[in-house]
Amino acid sequence: MRKTAPGAGAIGFMLVIVIAIAAATMTKAAFAAPPAPNGGFVWKDGPEVYTKVCGYCHEQGVGPVIRGRALPPVYIRNVVRNGSRAMPSFRIAEIDDESLTKLAEYISAN
Amino acid sequence: MASKYIALPHGVSEQTFDAAISAFRGVLGESNVLVSAEQLAPYIKTMMPVPDSDHAPSAALMATTVEQIQKIVGICNKYKVPVWPISTGKNLGYGSAAPAERGQVVLDLKRMNRILEVDKELAYALVEPGVTYKQLYDHIAERKLGLWLSMPAPSAIAGPVGNTLDRGVGYTPYGEHFLFACGMEVVLANGEVLRTGMGSMPGSNTWQVFKWGYGPYLDGIFTQSNYGIVTKFGFWLMPAPPVFKPFVIQYQDEEDIVEIVETIRPLRINGIIPNAVVIAHALYEAPTKARRSDYVTGSGSISDEAVRKITNDHNLGIWNVYAALYGTQEQVDVNWNIVRQAFGKSGKAKILTEKESAGDPAFAYRAALMRGDMTLKEFSLYNWRGGGGSMWFAPVSQARGGETLKQMSLTKEILARHGLDYSGEFIVGMRDMHHVVDVLYDKTNPKQVKAAYECFDELVSTFSAQGYGIYRVNTAFMDKVADTYGPVQRKINKTLKKALDPNGILAPGKSGIRL
Ligand SMILES: Cc1cc2nc3c(=O)[nH]c(=O)nc-3n(C[C@H](O)[C@H](O)[C@H](O)COP(=O)(O)OP(=O)(O)OC[C@H]3O[C@@H](n4cnc5c(N)ncnc54)[C@H](O)[C@@H]3O)c2cc1C
Ligand code: HEC
Repeated sequence: MRKTAPGAGAIGFMLVIVIAIAAATMTKAAFAAPPAPNGGFVWKDGPEVYTKVCGYCHEQGVGPVIRGRALPPVYIRNVVRNGSRAMPSFRIAEIDDESLTKLAEYISAN
Repeated sequence: MASKYIALPHGVSEQTFDAAISAFRGVLGESNVLVSAEQLAPYIKTMMPVPDSDHAPSAALMATTVEQIQKIVGICNKYKVPVWPISTGKNLGYGSAAPAERGQVVLDLKRMNRILEVDKELAYALVEPGVTYKQLYDHIAERKLGLWLSMPAPSAIAGPVGNTLDRGVGYTPYGEHFLFACGMEVVLANGEVLRTGMGSMPGSNTWQVFKWGYGPYLDGIFTQSNYGIVTKFGFWLMPAPPVFKPFVIQYQDEEDIVEIVETIRPLRINGIIPNAVVIAHALYEAPTKARRSDYVTGSGSISDEAVRKITNDHNLGIWNVYAALYGTQEQVDVNWNIVRQAFGKSGKAKILTEKESAGDPAFAYRAALMRGDMTLKEFSLYNWRGGGGSMWFAPVSQARGGETLKQMSLTKEILARHGLDYSGEFIVGMRDMHHVVDVLYDKTNPKQVKAAYECFDELVSTFSAQGYGIYRVNTAFMDKVADTYGPVQRKINKTLKKALDPNGILAPGKSGIRL
């Protein structure tokens, strides 16, 4: 992948080529693959999300206690996605829908 | 408006956007292209005093590979659709996960989260953008690698890539994060993939150990900028020291900041105190212990008497200097004597260690930050007023006592004129200080929203008029701050933008840079 860089004006039509070549060769062949990549991170279950995210605020007096109050899971999900005043929102990319459902059920029931 | 979209990119028709969205879906699959109001809700909440709709994205893309990102920039060039890349997306108080301009597509790399390498001997890590500090912390702990992270206060939920790209700070000896960055991989707007420094050479194994490479050092132009999308990021980790000794030094008058800074500077420049020391005002620490409503009634800023009462009630100084010593027991003992002597001279300082501060929540979270442990305790700040409004006002100061007092008094006076409190701290570099003030207000109260906006605007104008520059700012004020650095800098940034991103598809508006 030591080709000449496209001039600014040629960018449009170069793109197709660049993408095709780059996708096929660049990250795989031209550079050594990064050593032993792990799989991406995924959540195991509701308690894991609670301890690794929510607990840092909700067990530490930053946010109110939310466990043991039988808060409706729908409400919990809404607060997490929309945020609420001082509470930041959390995106699907951070907590996927399935994990959020498990998390909300866990908080509601415990 | 019967659009399928909650917003559209500037100058892009709905039909064109339809075509772009279906192309994005072709690359990422249906479920990784978010367009509904419900899916985009988490991107819309910001803490800034402007309508959230001003920064509403048109879509969000969840990409996980370099190849996908290359294809995405191809589509963006074709349809002239701007993308706003985020890594962990927790830029709270600087714009959160929302784009600089309404209608931009958020490129959310949170799921691109592999820890590619942690080298125990050379003490470095190579990670993808979506890795959080918590994920890396657990990775290191599980493998007992004996390495420490340096992180900003939102530790568990933020990440090294986004934080360092915005030139954020932490509290260990590695606290000036970009100083410890080493090697990036960047997808450029034309789809090419650049590895900076030694990473450009095929087969090189020095990418994460030597920063500068050959020729111009390029990493800097990919921070606080919009010249590329960073997809891999290397940085150095600190070997865990045998002994860690955190302490706090309390002073009881605002003017004492002069003595504090004059005492700290030589200790810091000479490496006696190696970490990014914090000089925190009482109101920065008070929210971990007290509520504003217990001390203030009615509108207007808190009185000095009330602040004094808080410090008496809750064992705080008006200034609280948090620092730590790191090393072997012998090294720590020697340095501890030097520190005690230096601060002991005037008789004003009260020096407390872990022993005297046992059970103190402010000390506990500061100590955690200075050793790179997870804590979100600093979010107590948002309970001070409540209502979730916050902007960081972050001018740079010389590490000179008179300067810090001047900046502090000026900030406090302007805040007070708008009915807001001085919740400030100085984070000590070697010769500089990041003067960081949380402009807290209630975002559910329209009067306070207006006051906060006007206050921040005045802070920026007044400080820049006195030659005090701001190191980083929220997306509502990026153009204003860019102007304070003068036309030549704005022009060169634009020249680079034209050369590297001729269609202006990458994060237009970041740091005021656009075509
Ligand atoms: C209570 C509190 C305390 C805080 N304390 C600190 C502190 O001590 N120090 C500090 O620095 N900050 C602090 N912050 C601000 C902020 O939350 C942190 O800096 C946080 O690390 C930034 O979010 P992030 O790491 O998720 O980065 P992101 O939000 O992912 O990224 C930040 C910005 O960098 C750019 N960017 C991100 N990824 C890429 C990419 N892959 N390619 C190109 N550009 C990219 C984008 O412009 C993005 O907006 C604090 C905030 C709060 C609420
Ligand atoms: C950074 C700190 C922080 C984190 C992390 C956090 N929260 Fe919160 N949360 C708060 C605060 C503060 C409030 C109170 C908000 C307000 O009213 O201003 C709150 C409020 C809530 C509420 C409403 C409680 C009530 O009494 O109505 C729920 C539900 C909630 N959070 C759930 C969660 C869940 C689930 C998580 C983990 C995914 C989480 N929070 C993570 C700070 C946090």
